[in-house]
Amino acid sequence: MSAPIIKVDAISKSFGAFKVLDGLSMQVMPREKLALIGPSGSGKTTILRILMTLERIDGGHIQIEGEQLYHMERNGQLLPADERHLARMRQKIGMVFQLFNLFPHKSVIDNVTLAPMLTKGTPRAAAEKRAMELLDMVGMADKAKAMPAQLSGGQKQRVAIARALALQPKIMLFDEVTSALDPELVEEVLNVLWRLCAETDMTMLLVTHEMGFAHDFADRVLFFDRGKIVEEGKPDEIFRHPKQERTQGFLKKIIAAGHRV
Amino acid sequence: MTQWSGYLGLILQGALVTIELTLMGSVLALIMAFLAGMGRLSRFFALRALATAYIEFFRGTSIFVQLFFAYFVLPLIGLELTPLQAGVLALGLNVGAYAAEVVRGAVQSIGREQHEACIALNLGRWQGLRHVILPQAFLVMLPTFGNNAIELLKATSVVSLISLADLTFQAQVVRAQTGNTMVPFATILVIYFVLALLISWGVRSLERRMARGLDGVRV
Repeated sequence: MSAPIIKVDAISKSFGAFKVLDGLSMQVMPREKLALIGPSGSGKTTILRILMTLERIDGGHIQIEGEQLYHMERNGQLLPADERHLARMRQKIGMVFQLFNLFPHKSVIDNVTLAPMLTKGTPRAAAEKRAMELLDMVGMADKAKAMPAQLSGGQKQRVAIARALALQPKIMLFDEVTSALDPELVEEVLNVLWRLCAETDMTMLLVTHEMGFAHDFADRVLFFDRGKIVEEGKPDEIFRHPKQERTQGFLKKIIAAGHRV
Repeated sequence: MTQWSGYLGLILQGALVTIELTLMGSVLALIMAFLAGMGRLSRFFALRALATAYIEFFRGTSIFVQLFFAYFVLPLIGLELTPLQAGVLALGLNVGAYAAEVVRGAVQSIGREQHEACIALNLGRWQGLRHVILPQAFLVMLPTFGNNAIELLKATSVVSLISLADLTFQAQVVRAQTGNTMVPFATILVIYFVLALLISWGVRSLERRMARGLDGVRV
């Protein structure tokens, strides 16, 4: 068994008096597809944001590929990470947001090429060639010159995925990437995720409300509630035979709301 | 009639000085606006304090006094300025203080999600600002910058008080020489108005050009 690619050790995070994460620990193996489910406010999005360094932790440690994310080792001591350390660690991680967060003033292809050109010094021609391959993979090659405002939500999200992939991260974080989409557009985005799963060996963490998709896609499902992982296991165990009362209650509510499991 | 055409020549010369002052003052104001506006958003207390002091001081004191200070007081400490230099300095610093708040507000109006996309794509602070935040913020700034430029144009008339031969100064010359008050002042009123219109049109067309594609209209 190889070493975990992500190791979260007893982290805590509060927003004011509200404790979002309370001594949370988890491990993710390389290439694992993980679905994070749970009621809103349970901390599942927060853990993604912490891994992307969008939120700082109040306590605990995180290791990515055996290296500290928020700390640097200097002379045997653990110091808080500086901006340079964070920038180096961020290279391993990419994130796709619920609301796409495309750059509205840049064309589709410029959205994809910007970061490789700036952060890796990739020449424009090479960056554009790679961008076209990625846009082709997400089925957006014909819209390369379009502006984001001309695209549907599903198209925007596919561009956002291509943009994150352009930096070749080892870990991809998907934060409710279909929640803001009209129902008929959800599938085109989920199809892209299937394709990524088949064609790359990235580790993928998904926060999702698409229970059917989580069931089919994930290797492991984590059920979050009140800042803790209440239950985890294979999709079948969690969705068909949940042991914890809170998991059962949550799934019952989701099914009552008309979601397929 | 020939007499009037001579006076018109004087007034047009004044118009050139006014335009020159407006352009040069606007360039200085723009530079100061970005320096102080970004300074107010700095992580460093010293820069924030410096920027705030500049903005509050130049917004809080009269443009007349600032101009007289630049022209009459600075020479006392060994800094001799021509009327044009003093005019550009006072106008640029004064309007720059107002425009700095425009820069700050526009940068802050760009949503948090854009900053987060920059972090997720591992852009450095300056890279994100330069390629993502400022291009979007600039579009927000433009209409108010247009107002600031018109304010600056109108404020240029104060330089006539330090003997710089701008529009207002030349109108007073014509009035003194002809005894006619109505014609010279009506003329420069129209010229100021036309110049302000030109600024409005220029800013609006720049705005249209830069906003292209942002609203989903095919271009």
